[in-house]
Amino acid sequence: MKIGGIHIQHKRRIAMAGILFALPSILGLMLFVMLPMLASLLLSFTDYRIVNTPKFIGLANYIRLFDGTDPYFYNSLWVTLKYVILRVPLGLVFSFMAAFLLNMQFIRGKSVFRTIFYLPSIVPAVASSMIWLWLFSPDLGLFNSFLEALNLPTLNWLYSEQTVVPSIVLMSLWGMGSTIIIFLAGLQGVPRSLYEAATVDGAGALRKFQHITIPMMTPIIFFNLIMGSIGAFQVFTEALIMTQGGPNNASLFYNYYIYRQAFQFGEMGQASAIAWILFIIILLVTVIFFRTSKSWVFYESEV
Amino acid sequence: MNKAKRVAGVVLSSVLTISLLLSGCSDSGGPEAQGGKNGQKEPVTLKFSFWGDTIEKKTVTEALERFEQETGIQVEPMHVPADYLTKMTTMVAGNVAPDLGYLSSGAALSWGRDGKLLNLTPFMENDPDFKKEDYLDQIWYEIEPGNIIGMSTAVEGYGLMYNKDLLLEAGVELPPTDANKAWDWDTFVEYAKKLTLDDQGRNALDPNFNPDKIRQFGLQYDPYNMMAAVVSNGGNFLTEDGKGFGLAQPEAIEAIQKLADLMYVHHVSPTPLQTKNMPDTALQTKKVAMTVSGNWALQAFAEQDFNLGVGVLPKLKESNTLLDGAPTVIFKSTKHPEEAWLLYKYMTDPESVLPLIEGGLWMPLKKEWYTNPELINKWAAGNKAHPEGYTEAFMKQTIENGFRTPGFEVKNLDKINALVTPALDLVWTGKQKAEEALKGVEPKVLPLIEGYYGR
Repeated sequence: MKIGGIHIQHKRRIAMAGILFALPSILGLMLFVMLPMLASLLLSFTDYRIVNTPKFIGLANYIRLFDGTDPYFYNSLWVTLKYVILRVPLGLVFSFMAAFLLNMQFIRGKSVFRTIFYLPSIVPAVASSMIWLWLFSPDLGLFNSFLEALNLPTLNWLYSEQTVVPSIVLMSLWGMGSTIIIFLAGLQGVPRSLYEAATVDGAGALRKFQHITIPMMTPIIFFNLIMGSIGAFQVFTEALIMTQGGPNNASLFYNYYIYRQAFQFGEMGQASAIAWILFIIILLVTVIFFRTSKSWVFYESEV
Repeated sequence: MNKAKRVAGVVLSSVLTISLLLSGCSDSGGPEAQGGKNGQKEPVTLKFSFWGDTIEKKTVTEALERFEQETGIQVEPMHVPADYLTKMTTMVAGNVAPDLGYLSSGAALSWGRDGKLLNLTPFMENDPDFKKEDYLDQIWYEIEPGNIIGMSTAVEGYGLMYNKDLLLEAGVELPPTDANKAWDWDTFVEYAKKLTLDDQGRNALDPNFNPDKIRQFGLQYDPYNMMAAVVSNGGNFLTEDGKGFGLAQPEAIEAIQKLADLMYVHHVSPTPLQTKNMPDTALQTKKVAMTVSGNWALQAFAEQDFNLGVGVLPKLKESNTLLDGAPTVIFKSTKHPEEAWLLYKYMTDPESVLPLIEGGLWMPLKKEWYTNPELINKWAAGNKAHPEGYTEAFMKQTIENGFRTPGFEVKNLDKINALVTPALDLVWTGKQKAEEALKGVEPKVLPLIEGYYGR
């Protein structure tokens, strides 16, 4: 018994040490994430304009969004949805391809390319936004000079309602470094033995890709799909720095709309309500993805 | 498992946690450390927040330091170069607002209405050294009669600024500085055409002029300044009774359409897209011959190397101009309202911030600086930021015919503008006529209209 007692005591000590080590982040999460979230949920049911004492008004903040009193809500949802629908699939395909190429045996100087592809991820969003502002510039920008050189019609990029969202998507593809790295790690984790076996069976490159690479990569694709969707719903900096939601609200992304409502109009109660709707949307989308994952994501360990 | 290691682990993790918690409070040592300088009384420290470029930062900080030396009241300058309103909003929400400082006009008026800002009327009445009549009549931010939350930090009048050499080269007569002789719109457009050149050097009056390859524009009229044209045509942002949407009235529509026509009919003015590519040195580098801007632009122009000239704005019906300027306010949460008022008064004295006024960024708040020749010579003449004719074209025009911008008095302006700006985008990009866009947005704007402050 005595030995067992010491054992339990020992386990408890280890647990204590572990909790103490994790305490900074647990406290951080509680203080700076959970608490503000709870506060914003409560505030979303109040009339709170920073300068007044919050007054409970029930669902009024939510009702004014859905009944169309707020002229920007549906517009901003639609704009954000457009961005997500373009950005997520394109982002996955682009970064998967990039990772696949970077994993090829015959490519020389791979580490240089890997660095180049990852580099944009460490450039601050504000700085890269400034660079892309110049690239997109209709008169002097690199893209339009390129189109002109090919005798193609030039575009107004960020300055036209039709092209502003695709332009921002294009820019975001440039900063996909972390997704590429995750794909790359996944590709390197695919057992070589499978490819060798397939080679012995006479499978070509395409078949190997289709029947080994893709299935083995589905957990990684799934992970990047979820992270990419969450990130895409929260697109913000580009709108703040480059377009301020324009032209004619065509890039009034949901997060920028929250920011504007909160910090420019001072409507904290309304902004909290708007933010919670986004939280619920993201939650729903994630749940749907998880539900569908059973039919297409393959986990080796579950076989 | 080594016991010492375990102990070390516990200690290390505790230290990490504690240091994380403490780092949040590390500011608290500040005030005590500075204390005891003045001996007997507890020293008062005021926090003054402001925005501005490096020159403004330097001048304002120096003014605050002089105030410290003269009064013994400590002032902590808080310079916020970007996202000013976001920062203020957060500080007010967190109950750590500064004692006084600049504030954008929309926030100032709505926070004033909600009682977050000090009403300065009692201070002005009880202070024997202060006379409200000494200051310009147009600069007051008044919530309602008897509740004044501040005055404009500085006066900013609007006018025409141009590169004199380009006008002389093109043989265009120089813009008048006398309001009675202001160019009418057609004359103005004609001269602007003469000054607009394509890549072959043909001007916009030439039948072969190529509007797709413009090398030099006659005029840059930033749509941000459109209210100048609107008031010149007898319009305003709201109707006179404060109930209707003034920009959708015929006078305003006509003025706004005329501005859009400068870009898309006459091709003398850069479109918003082309403006994005204009350097700040457009006048100096001969990309633009004339520009319409507020007084503050003189500061930057004075530092550039070109022959700067100024004139009154061209007129539609009346020769007048806009008067602009965001307020400085005292937050109600201040613990030292008396001292804050002393600093407020100090900062409104043109003498305290003379470098900014002389340098062209600001115009003074006191009437005497517009009438007393000795004081006028201290700023409005004889320096590079204030070229010949300035006293007439800007100084006189602003106090005699200066219309306050909507920011001074229109209630709910920020939210109205959130609708109006996108509608006007359609006009400035040539997609819609002014009438269509403004009439189109009017039904959405009307429910947001709440009238004027101070009436």
